[in-house]
Amino acid sequence: MFDIQEKLKEIGPYVPESDDDLLVCRCEEVTKGEIRRAVHEGITTIEEMRRFLRCGMGLCQGQTCGMLTRRLVARELRVPQSEMDVATSRAPMRPVAMETGGRDLGVEKPAAGGDAE
Amino acid sequence: MKIERKEFIVVGAGPAGLSAAIEAARSGVSVTVFDENARPGGQLFKQIHKFFGSKEHMAKIRGFRIGEELLREAEEKGVEVVLNATVIGLYREKEIQVQIGTEVHHYKADAILIATGASENMVNFRGWTLPGVIGAGAAQTMMNLYHVKPGNRILMLGSGNVGLVVSYQLMQAGCEVVALVDAAPRIGGYGVHASKVARCGVPFYLSHTIKEAEGTDCVRGVTIAQIDAKYQFIPGTEKHFDVDTICVAVGLSPMTQLLKMDGVEMADTRGGYIPACDETGATSIPGIFAAGDVAGIEEASSAMIEGRMSGEAVAAYLGYASADEKALREKELEESLGALRQGMFAPKNRGKKLEKTDEGIELSEMLLEKGYIGDDEIKRFPGYRAEIKVHPVLECTQNIPCNPCQTACRKDCISIGDNITSLPISVKDSTCIDCGMCVASCSGQAIFLVSENPEKGTGEVTIPYEFLPLPEVGEKGYGLSRSGQRICDATVRRVRTSKAYDGTALVTIEVPIGYTDRARFYRKADEAQ
Ligand SMILES: Cc1cc2nc3c(=O)[nH]c(=O)nc-3n(C[C@H](O)[C@H](O)[C@H](O)COP(=O)(O)OP(=O)(O)OC[C@H]3O[C@@H](n4cnc5c(N)ncnc54)[C@H](O)[C@@H]3O)c2cc1C
Ligand code: SF4
Ligand code: SF4
Repeated sequence: MFDIQEKLKEIGPYVPESDDDLLVCRCEEVTKGEIRRAVHEGITTIEEMRRFLRCGMGLCQGQTCGMLTRRLVARELRVPQSEMDVATSRAPMRPVAMETGGRDLGVEKPAAGGDAE
Repeated sequence: MKIERKEFIVVGAGPAGLSAAIEAARSGVSVTVFDENARPGGQLFKQIHKFFGSKEHMAKIRGFRIGEELLREAEEKGVEVVLNATVIGLYREKEIQVQIGTEVHHYKADAILIATGASENMVNFRGWTLPGVIGAGAAQTMMNLYHVKPGNRILMLGSGNVGLVVSYQLMQAGCEVVALVDAAPRIGGYGVHASKVARCGVPFYLSHTIKEAEGTDCVRGVTIAQIDAKYQFIPGTEKHFDVDTICVAVGLSPMTQLLKMDGVEMADTRGGYIPACDETGATSIPGIFAAGDVAGIEEASSAMIEGRMSGEAVAAYLGYASADEKALREKELEESLGALRQGMFAPKNRGKKLEKTDEGIELSEMLLEKGYIGDDEIKRFPGYRAEIKVHPVLECTQNIPCNPCQTACRKDCISIGDNITSLPISVKDSTCIDCGMCVASCSGQAIFLVSENPEKGTGEVTIPYEFLPLPEVGEKGYGLSRSGQRICDATVRRVRTSKAYDGTALVTIEVPIGYTDRARFYRKADEAQ
């Protein structure tokens, strides 16, 4: 990996582009401009980007935008795409209803109107 | 929470997963397959076209039938297939979480195979989130599984095999495909697939991409423009089309999340971000395997062989097969896989610009840029031969792993030889009996039967036809050129259907002499072009 301070100097300040309003992550509605700007604020890994902007954290879990984000960040940092890490995968890999997750932990759904214990 | 124990768990009931399950079960392993879909078969159940390959790869059989066959075999071998079961977690101790209904089930297995396939890539042009912009795979699911037309006027982005095959299927479903667009300078998929789309009149725009999808509530139109070598739009090259649907077929990405979360070593390759594994699919974690598209995007035919190799390796890993048995079977399967990985489109040739076929014949640039071969160009290929009496013309000019045409002809009119990627040859001085088997079994719809009647001043061309309604005998219309242009009058002389043709009808049209080398499709007189 590169030295962040050096890299930020090298890539210079954020310069707006005409299509910065283009959506990249449609689940969480994150635009190209937001991601590009974040890079210049020092967010240089996909992991951080996900926490910072929530791109790739929605319903599809980055299935659609993961590659787009990776390419965009690599371009902004002027590094080959292969040098960018990819997002970490964690369970659950598909959205799971709270009810289902709760039941897995032994918590039953409260009866309508009642309180959970 | 309770953990249940299983011997071998397969995630994904596509061609790779089912093949692995069958192979392992054959050696006595008890196998459970989980798939999140309501129907097993993976991508195969959407594939209504005939497959490439040779007989052992189930060539000329339609994809969905291959799926049915695999399923039947899996059942026969006692494989447990659990549907509507989404695997949501995998841990390196070979523990797995499966969501079934509103419950999460926990299992621990001695071996696990991940065969989750791939998901479609997207591009984000202006307007890409409008309703009406869909993946080509999604379009295929709508049409072929649910019998819903995805739209009426469609633009396809992507000229790989998926884009080409789905374009054709969209037309079969009654949609109009207004253009096929690709940013690359050359068509990515097989020439035979491109040609069957081109002869229906679909224009190809290479070195073009989508600038904007128009509309406020849904897609109402699209603007494409040419791009330069640096992928920048060239001003003034914009073209607008009225469409209600844009299909995107710009590649697939392996669905590796489960492998990544259990800490398997990964590699960034041309085939995608995939697990580092050996030829049997063994990953860096003993007992965890990967096969099919998830281990590198390829084809169903290769996915089936990879699956079988993994199944065999799992059987050996669990002590059901000796090392010798495993080695023997592996060698056999490797050869079969090797045969598929030859030719112009082999993984090793990805991204390369080839000039000549293996036989040393110059490839058609036009085929690569416009989707059809030039009327004169075809004559330099061995599939072409001029003769008055009926004979096959094979418009198959690239080295692809395919040979059903050779197997279909009992009269030795067609020869490919032992190497399945060699170009098919229309054998000189052979006697064609006009049985039509070659035309119907060609997965690329690239074979035509041609004859001439100099006294009458006419000739006949028999074409494969997979549209409904079928033309009627005596009906008048036009002969279309390889690029889908009306070039001559045509009268339908014969329409043949048969169980042996498996859904492909053979339409024989009579055209003026001189057009037998050029007329490659038929359209009824009152049908719009
Ligand atoms: C339009 C199109 C045309 C094609 N034409 C051809 C052709 O002519 N010839 C050819 O050989 N190949 C063709 N292919 C390619 C072929 O379909 C694929 O290469 C092949 O299906 C890959 O097999 P697979 O078993 O790896 O994955 P898939 O077939 O994708 O199966 C994966 C399965 O895993 C399941 N799954 C995924 N994640 C989970 C999870 N977390 N939990 C449970 N289940 C899960 C899915 O539901 C799916 O059923 C075509 C593909 C497309 C899209
Ligand atoms: S029509 Fe029949 S005999 Fe003639 S080339 Fe084809 S398969 Fe052979
Ligand atoms: S002509 Fe033969 S090799 Fe070519 S696509 Fe048709 S069946 Fe396959």
